[in-house]
Amino acid sequence: MELRRYIIRRLIQIAIIFYVILTVLFLLFRLAPGDPVSRMVDPTMTPEDAQRLISQLGLDQPIWVQYLYYVKNFFTGNFGHSFHYGKPVVEIIWDRLPNTVLLFTTSIILSALVGVFLGKIASWHKGKATDAVLTIGALVTHTVFLPWLALIMIWLFGYKMGWFPITGMISEEVWLDPESGIFAKALDVAHHMVLPLSTLFLIHFGAYLLIMRSSMLETLKEDYIITARAKGLSEKVIRDKHAAPNAALPVVTSVGLSLAFSINGGALTETVFTWPGIGRELVFSVSHNDYPLAQASFLLIAIVVLLANLVVDVLYAYLDPRIRY
Amino acid sequence: MALLEIEGLSIGYGTRNGLLRAVEDVSFTLEAGGSLGLVGESGCGKTTLGMALMGLLPPNGKIMAGKILFEGQDLKESTEEQWRKIRWRKISMIFQAAMNALNPVHRVGDQIAEAISTHRPEMPEREIMERVAELYRLVGIPVERIKDYPHQYSGGMRQRAIIAMALACNPRLIIADEPTTALDVIVQDQILKEIKKLQEKLGLSIIFISHDISIVAEVCEDIGVMYAGQLVEWGPKEAVFENPVHPYTKALLASYPTLMGERERLRPIPGEPPNLVSPPPGCRFCDRCPSAGKSCKSQAPVWAQVGPRHKALCNACS
Repeated sequence: MELRRYIIRRLIQIAIIFYVILTVLFLLFRLAPGDPVSRMVDPTMTPEDAQRLISQLGLDQPIWVQYLYYVKNFFTGNFGHSFHYGKPVVEIIWDRLPNTVLLFTTSIILSALVGVFLGKIASWHKGKATDAVLTIGALVTHTVFLPWLALIMIWLFGYKMGWFPITGMISEEVWLDPESGIFAKALDVAHHMVLPLSTLFLIHFGAYLLIMRSSMLETLKEDYIITARAKGLSEKVIRDKHAAPNAALPVVTSVGLSLAFSINGGALTETVFTWPGIGRELVFSVSHNDYPLAQASFLLIAIVVLLANLVVDVLYAYLDPRIRY
Repeated sequence: MALLEIEGLSIGYGTRNGLLRAVEDVSFTLEAGGSLGLVGESGCGKTTLGMALMGLLPPNGKIMAGKILFEGQDLKESTEEQWRKIRWRKISMIFQAAMNALNPVHRVGDQIAEAISTHRPEMPEREIMERVAELYRLVGIPVERIKDYPHQYSGGMRQRAIIAMALACNPRLIIADEPTTALDVIVQDQILKEIKKLQEKLGLSIIFISHDISIVAEVCEDIGVMYAGQLVEWGPKEAVFENPVHPYTKALLASYPTLMGERERLRPIPGEPPNLVSPPPGCRFCDRCPSAGKSCKSQAPVWAQVGPRHKALCNACS
């Protein structure tokens, strides 16, 4: 139908945009300072060995041949081996990605749900004490510098109180113990997740609260709110059924894009909490000239951002019946 | 006993510049089954009056004085809880379709069903939907469109749906606020005929608010002309049209073209209405009035009884 045709059209667009990104990325890596060979080549190597390595990497070929290899490798799923780890890049990414998705998806969904709920309440009590407390609270937590908050959380709840582990995602004594079942392991991960999750939550829920609040205030001016009131509906029904669904639309966009950018945007959080995710890996690979890993991570981000945009658009069509493609 | 009796009703809005007297000392009665058309230019207080009858004045609006007697009970004294039971069940409203009166994210049929289920929570779902279908047939929308969203309707259909919604709970009084504005003339005519037909068939009482006196004349038996927050002339349609007394009513009638009559130059009314934060002490129309006397500017006008049910607020014309 219409929606399917729209999705197909968008997928074609996405493919074209992605191809452009792929090419730009290739050029960027050739232009970047630093020589991959110098990292690989050992001073003790003989010149013949060094030369063999260079030709193995294809770096002695003209640039357009390199480009064709690059495109071919992408489409055959061959991303090469990480210089640093010596393992296939795909393996490393598959290893790190779920950790990032777990932490950030949970934090974004949690902060969006709480933000929408509190934003609704703030708009309903506009100008009163409840509104002031919520709005100021949201502004303060949202503008706090994330690494600072993260360190404070670690210092207070990890170090002073000792309630939560300070680093990592798992405790070895739990995971290496053959006795511990799946439940104990999950509990262990959850325990490690509390600090990074609450840090991310505190930083992000304010944004959703503010978006929802202003969107609600706009929606409450609409004529259909007067209709709803004239029909004798209770204030709760007017707020939850007639205003909130319309007001929540801008939040959906924001959530979708946050999810997309969380793949890379979490670098700071992952570094402070030493969370073994993709963001930390990306920073590491760039600063250590691990070209294959960096290249693959960038491509992954591009794909996720492009697809997230499509998902947001389709979700919009589902939530707002006026939008049909 | 009249269905609706309004006595000395005054409504004010708190604004930054002071209290704005949007409606001042308005009195009229409406019998059960009767229809009253309220006419006047933008800002004359007709919509404020309509909203006050639903208890839907904005937060800065307040009834300063007077009574709204509906079935003998003063609505002004109602609590929010009582209002919620009166709204739609006793008094409902036909909104302008050009406005966003229907919620874009809910199906039209569901929005009508919601009005019924709110006031009759005991009614089973299936019966409610049957009632909605019956309302669709009544106002002439194909029943299979129940599951459509508002944006899938044409302007005329949306207006019909809004009328169906207003009828949903069998109200005694319907307030129609500019229900045909922004529709093209053919659809406008259909909708007016529809409203009139339904009014006769269901024995409804209607207050029809419009800036267009010719539209009001088509639907209503009585006409009330409002100017700058005051009711300035009130009477049966024929009396007001054939023997307009207040200079504003005369000017209003002269400013609309007629299809059948002689070709005349339309006469706009020069000037503009007074500031309602500090209205002049005398007649509010006297600055624009061709027949104003000396005392009009300083002396507050009093009601002149023209006929048994026809009165005008004017000192110069009695």
